[in-house]
Amino acid sequence: MVMGNEKDLKKTALYEEHKKMNAKMVPFAGWEMPVQYANIIEEHLTVRNKAGLFDVSHMGQIFVSGKDSLSFLQKLVPQDISKLIQEKAVYTQLINTEGGIIDDLIIYRLDENRFLLIINASRIDEDVKWLLSNQKDLDVSIDNQSNNLSMIALQGPVASDILENLGLTKENQPKRFFIKETKLSNNDVLVAGTGYTGEDGFEIIVKNEEVGKLWVELLSKGEKFGLKPIGLAARDTLRLEAGLFLYGQDMTESTTPVEASLVWTISKDKKEDYFGKDKILSQINQKNESKRLVGFKMLDKSIPRHDYRIYINNEDSGVVTSGGVAPFIGENIGLGYINTDKPTAIGTKIDIMIREKLHPAEIVKRPFYTHN
Amino acid sequence: MTTDMTKVLCTKSHEYLIKEGNTLKIGVTDFAVEQLGDVVFIELPEVDSSFKKGDIFGTIESVKAASELYIPVSGTVIEINEKVVEQPELINNDCFGEGWLIKVKDFKEAEIAEAMTYDEYKEFIEEEEH
Repeated sequence: MVMGNEKDLKKTALYEEHKKMNAKMVPFAGWEMPVQYANIIEEHLTVRNKAGLFDVSHMGQIFVSGKDSLSFLQKLVPQDISKLIQEKAVYTQLINTEGGIIDDLIIYRLDENRFLLIINASRIDEDVKWLLSNQKDLDVSIDNQSNNLSMIALQGPVASDILENLGLTKENQPKRFFIKETKLSNNDVLVAGTGYTGEDGFEIIVKNEEVGKLWVELLSKGEKFGLKPIGLAARDTLRLEAGLFLYGQDMTESTTPVEASLVWTISKDKKEDYFGKDKILSQINQKNESKRLVGFKMLDKSIPRHDYRIYINNEDSGVVTSGGVAPFIGENIGLGYINTDKPTAIGTKIDIMIREKLHPAEIVKRPFYTHN
Repeated sequence: MTTDMTKVLCTKSHEYLIKEGNTLKIGVTDFAVEQLGDVVFIELPEVDSSFKKGDIFGTIESVKAASELYIPVSGTVIEINEKVVEQPELINNDCFGEGWLIKVKDFKEAEIAEAMTYDEYKEFIEEEEH
């Protein structure tokens, strides 16, 4: 991947903290980010068994407010945002006029007329451009706070105990897919019960100036619970094992949410019009999409990787979009697109072309891993 | 068993070779292993296959990526380390010892002479990093 000149890379407000902990830093989506602090597999297992702390400040935060906020957002995503009660969050996608995915995101309803959109770092510019171009004469303000806010993800089975140890009692913590505006160690924060690891946990949004001391305090008060800082490499293996998609690999502007097997995130009874609605509904109702995302596991010891070809009955039938080792379940797994003139059912035997040889694999249920 | 590092020769692509009588033991260097992190998969050639210096003789995969292995000398493979195929972590634990990859015969002495000593290799790495 070519990410431009290293000198142009942005640094998060936690850059010095990562350096202090000897993190290996790499370019990611225009940012210089910690890829690992120690050993990737150990970091992965720490999050599954205890808890991990991630700097995800590269991600974008956009606040949408004004009395037309709801109708503005309804036009942009296939989820029915009118059903979002206050403090609730939903996973959805920004869709272009062709039904393609501009970005995937979580929308949090902070208030009747105030929403927070958490978006991918690599898509901030595109998303903002798209939101602004649809603002028209609506009473809606689009406030991109990505450069002023930092975000820390606290993920794992003991995440809730750690927040409690920082003074945020369990009754005051947001439930899964909820968000709260609260205080954490005297800092004004937004705490959301969301994440990208397949574990219970939280994403904490705080001002850049305050994130350093919060990060240090979380690590010190979380130490007795086994909390460790976790880099982007383990974040990637964790999200893949949990069957979560990476924008730019598993979905792009040329894949629809139906093709990406995200039908479960589409409100079928949504009355309002939204971009790509005709295409999306036609693909759902007529099952006429030409490719479909599946999850698979290898049946030998080989490792599938991004861009490897998928074969069925010796015919080139698709492409791997994400692949790698799944350290907790102990399998080598992947996500990929298969042409719908081929079988895509769970249990279908497929092959992955790795260095000019076919290696056996099988389509399996996603997610590959679910906690408890 | 500790390796006598004065007998270890290295390449710029981070393979090493150690001469043991008429055969050469080949593997990846400690620096390469440190860069890779956990080795999770290794693919080695068939016994009896022949290579020219610089050919790809196998693949080593870490969590992050797959990397090709380049043979430092021309020759014929007489043995592969079946144990590292089963337990790739041996490469992380002891790359010069239990984590060796292949043994080769029918090599040319002149090609061995082109490799760096371990001390030269360490200097090479330091220059690379600056």
